[in-house]
Amino acid sequence: MSSAASPGSPSPEAPSNNPSAFLSQITGAKVSVKLNSGVEYRGDLQCVDGYMNIALEQTEEYVEGELKNKYGDVFVRGNNVLYIGVE
Amino acid sequence: MADVTTADQLDDSVVSEPLDLVRLSLSERVFVKLKGDREIRGTLHGYDSHCNLVLSEVEETVYVMDDDSDVLKTIKKQSEMLFVRGDAVVLISPPQRT
Repeated sequence: MSSAASPGSPSPEAPSNNPSAFLSQITGAKVSVKLNSGVEYRGDLQCVDGYMNIALEQTEEYVEGELKNKYGDVFVRGNNVLYIGVE
Repeated sequence: MADVTTADQLDDSVVSEPLDLVRLSLSERVFVKLKGDREIRGTLHGYDSHCNLVLSEVEETVYVMDDDSDVLKTIKKQSEMLFVRGDAVVLISPPQRT
């Protein structure tokens, strides 16, 4: 996988056609992370790794759309992730 | 392009990969959500890349739906020392950092 910008490659701002490049682009953004269990976490994306483990800041936990909990930092194990959406 | 290690990455209080959050919580009280409606709080002594955890002074809370009355019951269990298999881990929340 080449990360160097070559002529004709999309600009850094352009939506990436590479999922993991997209994930590194959205670090720092407000995201919502839905888990397989249906629980959703909204917070600032600190970082993601190759397992899709996620670190969030200022996290709110929503169960069936209702705010249930707030956490300062959260580590989410990647295997539980259904999707990551940019807010 | 050469890989450059920045001062930020050398700073051990910086989170550059998600597991750093867990590393920074070593010997602190953590909250862990597990599969099967279980939650534990304990002092984190060790972890690995599978999220296998070693905790001490652990309080486990199990949420169970009572068959007859449809009431959510909580069962609490205490353990002195606990090894948690990583695949059961959903979430780890360190204590509030300032």
